[in-house]
Formats: sequence, structure tokens, C-alpha cells
Amino acid sequence: MMAAIGKKIPHDSALGHVTGEALYIDDIPFGKNELVVDFVGSPCAHGKIKSIDFEKAKQIEGIVGIYTHQDIPGHNLFGPIIVDEYFLAEELCEYLGQPIVIIAAKNWKAVKQAKQLVNIQIEAYEPVFSIEQACKKNQYLGETRQIKRGNVQNAFKKSECVLEDTFYSNGQDHFYLESQAAIAYPGETNELTIISSTQNPTETQQVVAELLDIGQHEVVSICKRMGGAFGGKETQAAIPAMMAALAAYHTKCPARVVYTKDDDMKITGKRHPYQTHYKAAFTREGQITGLRVDFYSNGGAFADLSTAIMERSMLHAENAYYIPHIEINGTVCKTNFPPNTAFRGFGGPQSMAVIENIIEEISIYLKKDAYDIRTLNCYGVKKNNVTPYGQIVKNTILPEIFEELSQTADYKQRYAAVKHFNQQKSTKLKGIAMTPIKFGISFTTKFLNQGNALVNIYKDGTVQVSTGGTEMGQGLNTKIRQIVADEFGIDHNHVKLMPTSTEKNNNTSPTAASAGTDLNGLAAMDACQKIRAGLIGLASRHFASVNEGLAPAPECIRLEGGYVFDERLPHKKLKFSELIMAAYQERISLGARGFYTTPGVDFNRETGKGNPFFYYTTGCCVAEVLIERLTGNLTIERIDLLMDIGESINPGIDRGQIEGGLIQGIGWLTNEELRYQDNGALLSYSPTTYKIPNIQDLPKIFHVNTIKNPHHTINVRRSKAVGEPPFMLSLSVWAAVKNALSYVADNQIPKLRIPATSEEILRRITQYTSKAQTDLESAESEISLLSSLTNTEKTRVLPV
Amino acid sequence: MRDYILLYINGKRYQVSGEQIFQPFSDFLRHEQGLTGTKVVCAEGDCGACTALLGTVKNHELIYEIFNTCIYYVYQLDCQHVVTIEGLKANGHLHAVQQSMIDHFSSQCGYCTPGFVVAAAGMFEKKNVLSEQDVRYGLTGNLCRCTGYQPIIQAVLAVAPDTVPSIAECFPSSAMLQDFEQHTTDSIAAHYEETITGKSVIKKFFNPATLQEILDCKKQYPAAAFVAGGTDISVQMNKGKVHPDTIISLSNLPNLDFIKRQEEYVRIGPKVCWAELEHFCKNTFPEWHKTLTVFGSPQIRNVGTIAGNIANASPVGDSLPFLFVMNAEVELSSVHGKRWVDINDFYHGYKNTEMTKEELITEIRLAPLNAVQKMKLYKVSKRKDLDIAIFTAGILLEEMDGVIQNIRIAYGGVGPVVLRLLETEAFLKKKQFCLETFREAGKLARGEITPISDVRASAEYRLQLSENILLQFYYDVCEEQPC
Ligand SMILES: Cc1cc2nc3c(=O)[nH]c(=O)nc-3n(C[C@H](O)[C@H](O)[C@H](O)COP(=O)(O)OP(=O)(O)OC[C@H]3O[C@@H](n4cnc5c(N)ncnc54)[C@H](O)[C@@H]3O)c2cc1C
Ligand code: FES
Ligand code: FES
Repeated sequence: MMAAIGKKIPHDSALGHVTGEALYIDDIPFGKNELVVDFVGSPCAHGKIKSIDFEKAKQIEGIVGIYTHQDIPGHNLFGPIIVDEYFLAEELCEYLGQPIVIIAAKNWKAVKQAKQLVNIQIEAYEPVFSIEQACKKNQYLGETRQIKRGNVQNAFKKSECVLEDTFYSNGQDHFYLESQAAIAYPGETNELTIISSTQNPTETQQVVAELLDIGQHEVVSICKRMGGAFGGKETQAAIPAMMAALAAYHTKCPARVVYTKDDDMKITGKRHPYQTHYKAAFTREGQITGLRVDFYSNGGAFADLSTAIMERSMLHAENAYYIPHIEINGTVCKTNFPPNTAFRGFGGPQSMAVIENIIEEISIYLKKDAYDIRTLNCYGVKKNNVTPYGQIVKNTILPEIFEELSQTADYKQRYAAVKHFNQQKSTKLKGIAMTPIKFGISFTTKFLNQGNALVNIYKDGTVQVSTGGTEMGQGLNTKIRQIVADEFGIDHNHVKLMPTSTEKNNNTSPTAASAGTDLNGLAAMDACQKIRAGLIGLASRHFASVNEGLAPAPECIRLEGGYVFDERLPHKKLKFSELIMAAYQERISLGARGFYTTPGVDFNRETGKGNPFFYYTTGCCVAEVLIERLTGNLTIERIDLLMDIGESINPGIDRGQIEGGLIQGIGWLTNEELRYQDNGALLSYSPTTYKIPNIQDLPKIFHVNTIKNPHHTINVRRSKAVGEPPFMLSLSVWAAVKNALSYVADNQIPKLRIPATSEEILRRITQYTSKAQTDLESAESEISLLSSLTNTEKTRVLPV
Repeated sequence: MRDYILLYINGKRYQVSGEQIFQPFSDFLRHEQGLTGTKVVCAEGDCGACTALLGTVKNHELIYEIFNTCIYYVYQLDCQHVVTIEGLKANGHLHAVQQSMIDHFSSQCGYCTPGFVVAAAGMFEKKNVLSEQDVRYGLTGNLCRCTGYQPIIQAVLAVAPDTVPSIAECFPSSAMLQDFEQHTTDSIAAHYEETITGKSVIKKFFNPATLQEILDCKKQYPAAAFVAGGTDISVQMNKGKVHPDTIISLSNLPNLDFIKRQEEYVRIGPKVCWAELEHFCKNTFPEWHKTLTVFGSPQIRNVGTIAGNIANASPVGDSLPFLFVMNAEVELSSVHGKRWVDINDFYHGYKNTEMTKEELITEIRLAPLNAVQKMKLYKVSKRKDLDIAIFTAGILLEEMDGVIQNIRIAYGGVGPVVLRLLETEAFLKKKQFCLETFREAGKLARGEITPISDVRASAEYRLQLSENILLQFYYDVCEEQPC
């Protein structure tokens, strides 16, 4: 009997959250002599440092130290994949705000004043902001990669219809509520403890050690919880941690870095903007016979995780569709923005948007319901189930999900109703779309697919668990708590997840790729099983009875409901705590370390072939939208969502991931717009101007359901990862807008970029309805720079 | 005369003076008091993470409403009681909202959660049953990046209003009220000396208790900044855009928060906050009421004032197109006396008004609509709620037998100040009330404005809106009374 798994057990920090007692970095009381640390960044997006003068700043009362790259005892050059990023700029500045000078002071007031007195002279170079500009200058990060199957040229030649264009999607700020933060505590001799809001304590440990030229064994890196992360604290938490560490190193005082929201938004990387050229061949029925996509991402100034993100884009270019002839190319462009980074979906959303856009366009062109095009092309169960990279799509039930959701959401009827509505004279317009996802789970870099855990049982039978997984709100701790509780058959309240610390778990992977529970949960399970072996041995001896003719039988021992017993003598029970005490006295180990590696994953990025994923999380979503024709205002009328997330470990938490991910995705697709000044300064750098979804933006009707999948028999307790996938179901909203526009576009295929803000929507409506041929075929780019942009958009549909 | 601020936090009395009063209340809570349950994310009123309950004396009672502590300075808090997230867990018992939020998975990362809990708790002060609409409306001022809000709504809906003790039950008011009543008629003058990059500055704060006193004070310190709700000026201070050395608060000034109908006028005191106006307008100006429901957030509406909106002189101030087409008048007072100014003559240029450095807005008055007038207001913003407008419009029409007798059109967000479209108005006069007329007018309107591209939208979008909104107006009027 499973006790905890499958139940809606509250988040393990919920009590702390609702009372405000849960501590985040900046809530930790200031220690004696603790300093606050801030930075001064590059005043321009691209240039050479001529001079740095902080003499006046030093005079401010309360300033304790001011540092540049010259004060770094160890390395200054970092990078998770390609080592190309200076922590503190040395000569070249490659993005606006790139840290140059670090200031440590007794209080924030002093820091504020000192910052204004730091004078950095720069010889400005011409910056590059857009993908187009970067391509012209041949500025790339890493190499162009390719995944290919069949002969796409042939497919184009032979095809009845070919459609070709460029698609643009803009970036997205993570907008985690807790901005980047870290505190460094210097210890004896070289020791340093760093507490930071990071998804990747191991990386923090490593960069701090390299920065200070000390051993990794001299650094302890800890993360109790994050106030949101979404990928934004996978690599980029390293910079504030290094700032704190450098100040602590020089001053021997604890040092605290807490970015303001404004600074955080201005200088941290974001979701990558993409520009994608696509060419699709299809039949008159809508069967896609060939596809070529050339992804270009705007990587910002340094490589960060961009190449891995591009890889995931390429691995999701076909989303849920079988495309026989396909060629996918991926290039990361180097520009003068802060290095763009991981963000929920990790390149998946950008590439899925492209194929969903193509499907909408095919349907508009063929005057068919896009649903029919989607189901026609969907991966099959017995055939048409091999991905372009050669992995077989196994044990998924996508066709069933399509079918069931279209029934429960009344899709066909509502599609007809939307059509009818749009034929009436009205100042309003409606659209509807249903989009699927098939999201691969595992890191595409093989070695990251490992996890370790430490489980300690105390003499009263309570348990502490530590893993390399970090808690950012996603409920990882709660799920592991449930897994461990069930391993020992005890109440989940007797299991506690401890802060993630490199002291307990070494060489851990970032908590990312939705794989947190899979890797750490299974590692914890492994540790539990080691302890269990000893406990069960002991119990079997304890319950063995010569009188009753029962030999010790470990296979008959059960740990359930807080008790241990031999199933042959179910009435003779021992409390779990009693068993533990006995084990202690018998000198049986009550602690163990577990380890897990994901089996069977391997991907060769040179050949573009392999099995990068352990399994896929899938689902579908229907969205219906209402648009004001005269203002472009968008309202989401209804959403119906259905996902296969396997056997949920905690339905309450998983539902939260689904709803939250979906709404976050809707933000990216609709209102969240990064707008820059032509010098590269982000203008929408706070919630006043950067509009994430508000409670009032929730759809009026919102149905979220999961579907049983008996074929999924692998992974921890047959669950599936759920963190990222729902994000991409939001594409249904964007597709519904595109669908709505098709009703005003006469016989053209309406274009629509991401985000579909009301401005973008009105621009399109005006473009397609105004009789006078205005110059509304205006500038297109993946980013919004306030100065006007060149290059015009072309729409070509070439029936052959 | 006092030199300190008297306030209560979670029932505990504080006298705060000197430098400490010149900081955002959230900093005071977090840094000075160690009450870190209140979070700060944006420091500009746009996320609600810092929400607390503000108890102010109204009719000898403490009335609690939510506010943003990040843009409320300690000096604004005289004779008020603040309840923070720490205060809600009374005597070790969880508040019903807290328990319900745990049960409904309403927190993920938890950073927004204290703000939501406080905002939700505030909704139960009125003890009425809440609809989903009410809950969404009440929580408009709080952002959550994790949950997608649904579980928060469910948690609040699951709380039975009659089981929630009121704040007054948790924190008995009588002693506080008595204390406040003894002190609220005091004037306050406080100051401290600050060294900013080597230069010494005396920061001064005044909280006058009479109109005469405040006018004298402003004459003596013409560069001083008035603070009413602070929802404009505190944001600018937090973001380092203004650094007033002298601050004059209106908070203890009596008799300036009236709203009444008198003779041919509706008369509004400058200190009337948006929440009160919203309530008042429901019947008197239903169209204005609609736009007030998307004005900022509950936290902002509870403290932000109409005079602050007018004096702040933003080209996208939400109230202005309405006041323009209504020909509202503003009363300006100074030691030299009073004068009335038509709002249409109030703005001279970007943030440049008719008001002199010695004047205070003491009243706003306007005549209600008459039977033949039809008025519509529009606000277009990137996000419908809690967003500053990209474009605003007010249009007032007098029509007879299908002919436009008179029309007033005011647009915001299309220039440095809110504009009346005089040419378009003149064109429309005596024209047929029909679609074609408004189509042509739309084209004219485009020519009358020179909007810019900024962070919120492009000039092109604003131009298109200024054309389209006239069509929208036509359709909206037709919808009410088929034409
Ligand atoms: C999150 C947020 C959302 C907002 N949303 C909106 C919105 O949707 N629409 C909108 O229009 N505005 C919005 N605002 C702006 C602001 O809330 C309003 O302008 C509000 O009406 C200002 O009133 P206040 O009392 O807070 O002004 P304060 O900040 O106290 O004062 C503003 C200015 O007016 C002066 N002043 C105040 N009272 C007087 C007086 N009696 N006589 C002379 N001068 C005076 C002050 O010196 C100051 O210069 C928002 C602000 C924030 C922070
Ligand atoms: S911190 Fe965002 S509203 Fe106060
Ligand atoms: S729970 Fe993370 S922001 Fe709301």
C-alpha cells in the first residue's frame, strides 16, 4: 500500500510561505560586520575600457572596498559549455551593464552614492543587436548544428504545395519574484560558505573556488529555496555569488548581494529571441511531406547555455508530428545583449511555435480546420513514430489525447461557432486552436543525467533527506518527501528535506530540464533501499520464531503505516521508531547515499542521431480568444487542457505546475514585451512596463485534466516530469489569435509574431483590412528596438 | 507640535523620528524591525509583494484597507495602525486564508504569498460572501509568477466569511483610537541632516494640521513636495528620479476628503482616494466608474488621490480625459487666496501646469451629465489591469435628430499633455451622426496629434488608436441606442 505517493500533500514550505516565516536570502538577519555588495556595469553595449576611476567613490563614508578584475586571485573567465564569459570585464565590454567594478560597503546608502562616483570611460564600438546584424558580421556562438532525415530538396520538388517564410519570436524575462541574491561567509583560512538563490549549487561552488583560486573542497554552497527561478538561476546565479565571494575574500566579512528588480531585469539573460526561416512541403490534404527550418537564436554576448538550448530547439522542431523529410539547422548568434539563458522549455517553445505556425498557415491556405491537419500529421503509435533524430516515440498516447480533448472541449462545435461569429457584423473577432506538445525528458548532455542523495534516519525514526535538487517552488522537496516516506512506510511529516548543500551532495547537476524529481527522487530511493536492506534483515530476524516454525524471511517484511511486520504474522507489529532504535543498537547503518543515472540516454550531436530522451511528456490544449477589432485587445475566453503526466506523485503540485506553466507561456506569447532603446538598454525593466499575466488575465473558463497512460511503465513511481511541458501548451492561445486573424485576411495568410500584443494584433488587422495599400508591411525583427527597423517581410505561398 | 510619527504595527506602539521616518515603510519593517515576511520585489507598487493592511481612523473606527508598503513612507503613517503578515497569525493560530492557501496549493515559490494572504485577508473585513469576480478584483494588485493564480482564487473562495475574525477583533482598537485622537490634531515637524556625496543636506518633513498652516509652509518652502497618497511621488523617490529635501504631507489635514453633490456641481476634495470615488461614481458617473475599476490596483486606489493624479500631470493620467470633456474646474489655494482654473487650461506642457509653487489643489468640481449628453471613456493598455495607459480618450456627445450638436474629444498618451482635438470637434459639429462621419473624423484626428514611440507602444499604434477609437465610440453609442 502506498501511503503518501499520489496524494495531495501540501508543499513542504507552505506553512512558511503563508506566514511569511519562510526565509529567502535577503530575509536572513544581517550578521556582525556583514557588508552589502553591488556593482557598476558597462555604460555601453560594446566598447573598450579606457579607464576606471573610483577614487572619489572610495571616499564615501561606509565604503569598505572597491574591486575590479585585477583583484581576482584566481580565474575571471567562465562558461558552462564554452568558456568565454568574463565575470568582471577586463578590456572589452560586450553588453550594457556588464559588471566591471564591485563595491562593498557597510550600508546600501553608501553603495548608492559610491556607484554614482565611479567613472568608467569607454571607447564605444558599434554594437550588434539583431540576428540579422550578427549574421551579416558572421558573429556566432558555437557552430551551426544539423539534424536531418530523408531528402528535403526532393520533397520540395515533388510537392503539391510549398510554403516559405520567416518567423519571429521575442524573448521573455523570467520575472522570478526573488531577484538574484547571495551571501558569502568567510571561514577559517580559505574556507568559504556561500548561500545563494541558485538552481545549481555545484556550479556556484565551482566558480567561486576558481575565482578565489582555492579547492572546491574549501567551498560549501547552499541553497535552501528560491523565490522562483524558471531557468534564470541555472547559470546566472553564479555572477552575484562571485561578487559576494570576492568581497568576502578581501574583507573577511560576510558579504551580501541582492539585485534590485530593475538591475536584475536589465543585466540578466532572458529567453532567446529567435528568427526562423522555414520551408514546408505538403499535400492538398495537408500532409507535411518535407520541412526545412533554419533556427537562429539571439544568444547575447556570451555562450552561456545557448548551444544546449539550440539543441533542444532542434530536437523539438517537429513537435508532435511525423515529418518524413526534414532538415533542421541551428545557429546561435552573438549580439551585445546580456547572455541569454535557460528558461522553462529551454528552446522548446521557440521551435514548437514555428511548427505550430506552419500548421496554422497550411490550414489557412488549404481552408481546412487546423485540427485536421494536426491529427493527420501526428506521430502514430505503430507507424510514423520515429523522430528525425532516430528515437522511437514509444508509449505515448497523443492520438488519444487529441480525440478525448476534442470531445470534452466540444472542439468541432466551437470551431463552427467561431466561424459563424466572425461572419456577423461586429467589432469583435474570435479565434480557436488546439495544439499538442511532445516534450522530451532528460538533459540532452548525457553526463548531466545523474543524481545523488543522502538519507539519514535519526534515533526517533525521523528522516532527513538531502539531494542535489533545489527547491524553487516546483515542489521537488515535497515529492521526494513522499517517495522517501513510502520507502519506509512512514508518515511524510517524519521526513524532512534539508537545504541543498554541496557538503552533502557533490557534483550535482542543475535542477533543470524538468528532471529534478526523476533524478533526485530515484537517487533518494536508492539510498532508502540501502538502508531498508539492513532494516529488513534485522526485522526478519526479529520476527523469526522458532516456536512457530518461521525462519527469517526478508521477503516477507513490510514497512507500512509507521510499522514494520512480517506478513506471515501481521498482528505482531513493531513501530518504525522502535525498529530504528533496535537497528542503532545493533550497529546497523541508518544513513546512506544513493545514486542514479538515467538509463539508455545518448545523443550524438555530431551526427544528430541518438536517443536523447528517456521518455516524452505529452498533452494538448484548446484555446478560444476574443479580439477587439478596433484596439487589438485580446481576451482569453476559454482553455481546455489535457496532459499525460503518468502516475502523478502529487496531483496538487502537478496541477500547479501545469496551470502555472501554461499562464507563464501565455505571458510570453501575449503581453510580455522586451523593448529596448537603440543603445541596447532594456526599457521594460520592471513590472510597470513589463507586463506578466495578472490574475484578471486568467481565462474565464479554465479546464485542466490529466489522462491515464497504461503504457508508461518507467521512471520514478511511473510518474512523468511536468515542470516545463505545460509552458508550451500555451501556444494554443497564440495559434487561436492567428486563427482569428485568418478571418480578416481575405485570401492572404496573416502573419503574427511573438508576442501577440494588442499592438501587434491591431497592426495585423489594419494591414489586412485597410483598403488603401499602406506601408504596413513594416519592419520585422526578433527583438523590439525603439529605433525603426529595416527589412521587410515577405509572404509567399507557392502552389506548385 | 511633535517631531515624531506615532504609529502602531501589529498592535504595538511606535514613535519614530529623525532619519527613520524618511524611508519606505517596507524598509522600516524589514531592516529596522526584522519583519521580513513582507517582501519587496519592485519597490514601485506594481507587484503587491509588500502588501500590508492600513488601519485609518474613519468615524471613530479603525478601517483596514490594503496598501503597498514599498511606496508608503514612514512619514505618511502618522496615527495609523499597520497589520503585516506577521500580525495575521494571531495568538499562534493561522488565519483562515493562510490555512486555505496551504490546503489549495496556492504557493509555489512562496515569494508572492504573504502579499496575497494579506490582500485576501483584507477582503474579508466587510464580511460579505465573495464571488470569483470579487476575488480576482481584490487581488489585481498582486502578481504571482508561479501558480497561474487559479489555486489562489480557489483558496479564497473556500473561506467562509463569517468564520474570519475581523482585524478589529484581533487587535482591539479602543486604546489605539484614544491615542490617535489625542495626537491627530498635532502638527508635525521633523528633520535630519544627511551627507550625500560629501554635501550636507537637511531633510525636512512637515505634517500641518490646518489649511492655513500648510499654505504658510508651502510659501516658506516653495520647492517642497506635497505628498498625498504618494503613489506617484514615492515611486519617483524610490527610483531616484526626484529627491525633495522638504516634504509636506496632507495626511492630517482635515476636511479635504469630501465628495458631495451641491447645486449644479459635484464637488470633490483633493484628498479623496480612488476607492472612494469608485464607490461614489457607480451611480453618478457610471462611465467614469468603469475606468476607475481598471485604475491601478486596490492597493493604489486605497491611497492614491484625485488631486495627486491631476497635479502629477502625466499625459496618461486616467482621470484626465474625463475631467477634460466634462470641463471640470480645479480650485487652487495659496496664501494669496483662491482661484478656479478650467482643467482644459491647466496644463501648459509636459509636467508643466498652471499651478504656482505656492499653490495647493483644494477642490475639483464638475457638473453632472445632462440628459442629451452621451459620454464614453477609453483606456488602452498593454495589460487590461494594473497598467498605465498607452492611450486614453474621453468623448462627450450632444446629438439631436441624428445631427451632432456638440462634441468634445480629449486624448491622452498622444502628446506631452492630454489634448482636446479641437479641429476634429469642429469638423464633427452639425454633421450627421453616422459611421462615415466618424471614419472621416478618425482620419482628421490622426493629423491632429504627434505621438511618440516609447516603452509601452509605437507612435503608429497610437495613431491607429486615435483613428479607431472614434469608430469604437460610434459603435458603442449605437449599441446603446440603435441608430
Ligand atoms: C502601481 C501603480 C499603478 C498606477 N496606476 C495608475 C492608473 O491606472 N491610472 C493613473 O492615472 N495613474 C496610475 N498611477 C499613478 C498614481 O497612482 C495616480 O496618479 C494617483 O492619483 C496619484 O495620487 P497620489 O495621492 O498618490 O499622489 P502623490 O504621489 O501623493 O502626489 C503626486 C503629485 O501630486 C502632488 N500633489 C498631491 N496632492 C496635491 C494637492 N492637493 N495639490 C497640489 N499638488 C498635489 C504631489 O506633490 C506630487 O507631485 C499608478 C501608480 C502606481 C504606483
Ligand atoms: S514591492 Fe512591488 S508593490 Fe511593493
Ligand atoms: S508562488 Fe512564486 S511568485 Fe507566487
